[in-house]
Amino acid sequence: MNLQELNPSVKAITLIVAVFLLAFVFDPITPLVFSLGIITITFLFGHVSFKRWALYFIPFFIIAFGFFWTTLVFSDSSNHSGKLIEAGFLTFPLEGFQVAVSLALRVLGFALLSLLFILTTNKTDFLLSLMQQLKLSPKIAYGVLAGYRFLPLMLTELKTIRMAHRIRGIHRGKGISGRVRELKRYVIPLLASAIRKAERTAVAMESKGFTGSRQRTFYRTMNISYKDWVFLGMVLALYGVSVYTSVSWGYFEWYNGQL
Amino acid sequence: MNKWKMREIVVMSVLSVVFAVVYLAFLPVGKLLVGFFGPIGYDLIFGIWFIVSIIAAYIIRKPGAAFLSETIAAIIEVMLGNAVGPMLIVSGMIQGLGAEAVFAATRYRLYNVWVLMGAGMGSALFSFVWGYFISGYAALATSYVAAMFIARMISGAVIAGLLGKALSDALAKTGVLYNFALGKEHRRNKHGAA
Repeated sequence: MNLQELNPSVKAITLIVAVFLLAFVFDPITPLVFSLGIITITFLFGHVSFKRWALYFIPFFIIAFGFFWTTLVFSDSSNHSGKLIEAGFLTFPLEGFQVAVSLALRVLGFALLSLLFILTTNKTDFLLSLMQQLKLSPKIAYGVLAGYRFLPLMLTELKTIRMAHRIRGIHRGKGISGRVRELKRYVIPLLASAIRKAERTAVAMESKGFTGSRQRTFYRTMNISYKDWVFLGMVLALYGVSVYTSVSWGYFEWYNGQL
Repeated sequence: MNKWKMREIVVMSVLSVVFAVVYLAFLPVGKLLVGFFGPIGYDLIFGIWFIVSIIAAYIIRKPGAAFLSETIAAIIEVMLGNAVGPMLIVSGMIQGLGAEAVFAATRYRLYNVWVLMGAGMGSALFSFVWGYFISGYAALATSYVAAMFIARMISGAVIAGLLGKALSDALAKTGVLYNFALGKEHRRNKHGAA
């Protein structure tokens, strides 16, 4: 199996289901086992370069750490058993520590699921599939594709505006306030030209016979195959294994507004 | 969807694309703030992530503008390689619904400052309830969660509502919104004054 070949819509739904399932559980072990499984799937079936993956993963790790320490410091400590954990000159209630680890691992689990999606999905395929499988209106889908194509154009536009300003003697801002003022000068011209381009594009689409009707044909059709169901089954099975491990180690807890 | 003109759809999509980039650009800012203040860091600037709902609804003034623009922005963020992944689309839809609910309550007739700020707060409320469930805020002390909630509501009203309105009005002044509801209103006001 190759994650790149899966249907993007089914893949997205599978991952959203997984996030929901994970959100119902609040203990350290379930997300830990689940995350390890997702990492394995990503590298085994995803053909993802480790460097690229790590580049995306590091910011999440920092966020998860932020959640970890704030939960530790701000956790609701009204009903702990009195057991303490000592870390250097700091002491924390054991319950608070467990909650903090659970929260951080849950955030990491969500992050790993999204990395799996981003690093193995082609953008145009995703939109085509949203249109073909999930019945997204073609008017919106092609509008979005057109808008997406504007991004590089807007970058050029930004350079043009910047040069036009400079040639008239307005230089790049210095310091943070200067940068903000500089940004203010660019925002409205950039948006205005984007809106003009969008209007022209819309007229062009209509003049070439685009009606936005749902009864249309596609040059590239996206299909759902047995592989998509295998992937869904694999993720669900992984969830089952994670919950089972957690239960048998005696950590398992439902999420019901803990502490 | 059939009542929408093609130009309205494409302009809404383009606005969503532009603000999807802005949204992504603000993620590291949020991460930095989270690093300093903990989870409340996001709430301080959370309003920025609702802004396209307010702008699109204020300019186009059709049912669905707030919801669709926020959803499209989320789809674009996923296409651009956002780290939150497909789940972000669900979050975007929920935020869009929050703003949409406020506009729907006025029957899509009223677009003054208060309604726009209310729409920003609607998004803040919906996104907070969603975040409460999904991110496990319940694990934090009640007073901290309350502070997060208040910060997010203010941020929604000020950043999304006021800044969104200011940007749209500035755009209307350039004349590019000639064919849209907001542009027409500006023209009427000008003639009325003269």
